[in-house]
Amino acid sequence: MSDQPGQTTPLQLRDRDDIVLRIEHLSVNFRVGKQTVQAVSDLSLDVARGETLGLVGESGCGKSTVGRAIMQLPPPTAGKVLFKGQDLCLLSGEALRQTRTALQMIFQDPISSLNPRRKVRDIVAEGLQIWGRPSQQSRVREVMEAVGLDPDAVADRRPHQFSGGQCQRICIARSLALDPEVLICDEPVSALDVSVQAQILNLLEDMKQRYQLTMVFVAHNLAVVRNVSDRVAVMYLGKLCEIGGTGSVYARPAHPYTRALLASIPDMNPLSRHQQDGLPLLHGDLPSPANPPSGCRFRTRCPNAQALCAEKEPLMQAVRQTEQNEPQSKTTGVVSDHFVACHFPL
Amino acid sequence: MTPREFKEQPLLLDVRNLTIRLNSAAGLVHAVEDVSFVLREGQTLGIVGESGSGKSVMARSLMNLLSRRSVAQRQGSVVLSGREISALSEREMQKLRGAQVAMIFQDPMTALNPVLTICVQVSEPLQQHLGLSKQAARQRTIELLDAVGIPDAANRVDQYPHQLSGGMRQRVVIAIALACDPALLIADEPTTALDVTVQKQILDLLSRQQTQRRMGMLLITHDLGVVASRADIIAVMYAGRLVELAPATTLFGAMRHPYTEALFNSIPRISDPGHTRLQAIPGRPPQLHHPSPGCAFAPRCQYAQQRCHRETPPVVMAESSIVSAKPTEHLHACFFPVAKSASGGVN
Repeated sequence: MSDQPGQTTPLQLRDRDDIVLRIEHLSVNFRVGKQTVQAVSDLSLDVARGETLGLVGESGCGKSTVGRAIMQLPPPTAGKVLFKGQDLCLLSGEALRQTRTALQMIFQDPISSLNPRRKVRDIVAEGLQIWGRPSQQSRVREVMEAVGLDPDAVADRRPHQFSGGQCQRICIARSLALDPEVLICDEPVSALDVSVQAQILNLLEDMKQRYQLTMVFVAHNLAVVRNVSDRVAVMYLGKLCEIGGTGSVYARPAHPYTRALLASIPDMNPLSRHQQDGLPLLHGDLPSPANPPSGCRFRTRCPNAQALCAEKEPLMQAVRQTEQNEPQSKTTGVVSDHFVACHFPL
Repeated sequence: MTPREFKEQPLLLDVRNLTIRLNSAAGLVHAVEDVSFVLREGQTLGIVGESGSGKSVMARSLMNLLSRRSVAQRQGSVVLSGREISALSEREMQKLRGAQVAMIFQDPMTALNPVLTICVQVSEPLQQHLGLSKQAARQRTIELLDAVGIPDAANRVDQYPHQLSGGMRQRVVIAIALACDPALLIADEPTTALDVTVQKQILDLLSRQQTQRRMGMLLITHDLGVVASRADIIAVMYAGRLVELAPATTLFGAMRHPYTEALFNSIPRISDPGHTRLQAIPGRPPQLHHPSPGCAFAPRCQYAQQRCHRETPPVVMAESSIVSAKPTEHLHACFFPVAKSASGGVN
């Protein structure tokens, strides 16, 4: 790894051979009028082969921007996006086009992400046609069957004839046609009904097994992320707050923001009604990303904030493992897999 | 409050056999079919259903907010505080809206008028219904904004909606709804457009205000988790019909309708280990243009038998509530009810 001067390798990046996607010091700026909004600021994380990384946070925290920046949509302002060791940000034109076939994306609104004028068959086959892949017909049939669509019944129909859940299946089939290695899912189930949501989540899990996918799963629903992810990264206002194994982060959140997020989940137990109030909770709203707070960006809403939090930006540090913890990483021995950016972790 | 205490509360809303058919390009939509329920003062009734289950159409019809042209047929009675309101003229309804029944909508971005200040919008019902002067209404507006947790209300009052965040806008919408101290608040997906952290703030705010004002509340949502710990009674709707209705604790203790059970099981749970296989409901909600005979859920129901496809199950009292001494009303519309406990035990 060639570190740029002044930039050290972030702690949370793992030194493993099976890292498929590695993001280093990623920043994405948008110009809004005369202002510059830092949608993502100095974010580093990695995803190992076969892993699902959940990216969570409130709307406006930059989680979707990270997903898109991986695809170079648009290319990030600074930082690296290494796909199997190759920096996608340095590629351009044809080379990027070639490489990008291995990364595919699924979006939140399945209906508007399908061209209403085209037949399902053509939508799913488009990538194959563009790349002139052989045996298109059989491949289209195969992926349509894989996502639970009957090719004979649906191939000649158009998207408006399908429900949201069916359209999401078509989107998934389209993304799988080119046999990708990485699937980036941007809120894939938040536009779907509860009863259909479970179908799509199960389907994504099946597809991950069947096609050995590595997934980045962007979502705001923490229960959904808990279900699909191996690791979870929590973002706040463009910054990474906490990253670690899903079990560890959910059981022992180290960042006050993660704890607040988890405490916000509605309780399915009707008897908990009178215990609702009084929990430590967030005050106020997300500050403007155009003018983020100094030091720790979360400090304006943090119940534990102190003077230091305004002065100095917290760096990533390993979360101290308690004894009853399951051994997190057998291969590396002592190293923890759970990191937090907070001066006063919980 | 326990169900027993509620029994003594006066009746606030009594909806009987409400049926609404809407015109659409594809034909008559059977949006609401024979829905009956009662709400007592100070109670929260949570109405749960997926999109297209008729819950919002029903809520709007209680306020007479459906356009005359779109409604093809409307039957049944709606009695609010002892007064039949389903046949009121638009003028009489105007007097009721905002004063006795208020509504909170899903999207706070579109529920507010972008070209009027917060002050003008919150003052309107105060001037209209309570006859306050402009000055007094302004003062009352600041108090209301303060009560719904808007910091620096005295300055915020002259701002426009675009200057507020989504959560703050929803607070303004709530302030408008509460302005005239309504007896009934209808909250139609009040937090769906908001972030989880803000969702909890808004739901807490609604609970607090409701307790203080002793309002009745209809909390409409697609999220079983939202109503589980907020509603006294939960009504589950599917394809325009009420399929199950019970006090929250009873419902989560023993779900009777297979749809309620399936809905509950399909939700990913934070307490489950990662990669737990979800129990998805096969198929999708039915179209309401040509309801087929029989139970609307039958095609997706794992317990469905022949009878379910032929006859529409009537709403009946659940057996356990007849046997038990507790005055809990547990209704369901199923020929072959299940007995599922939310804690996972199935008998």
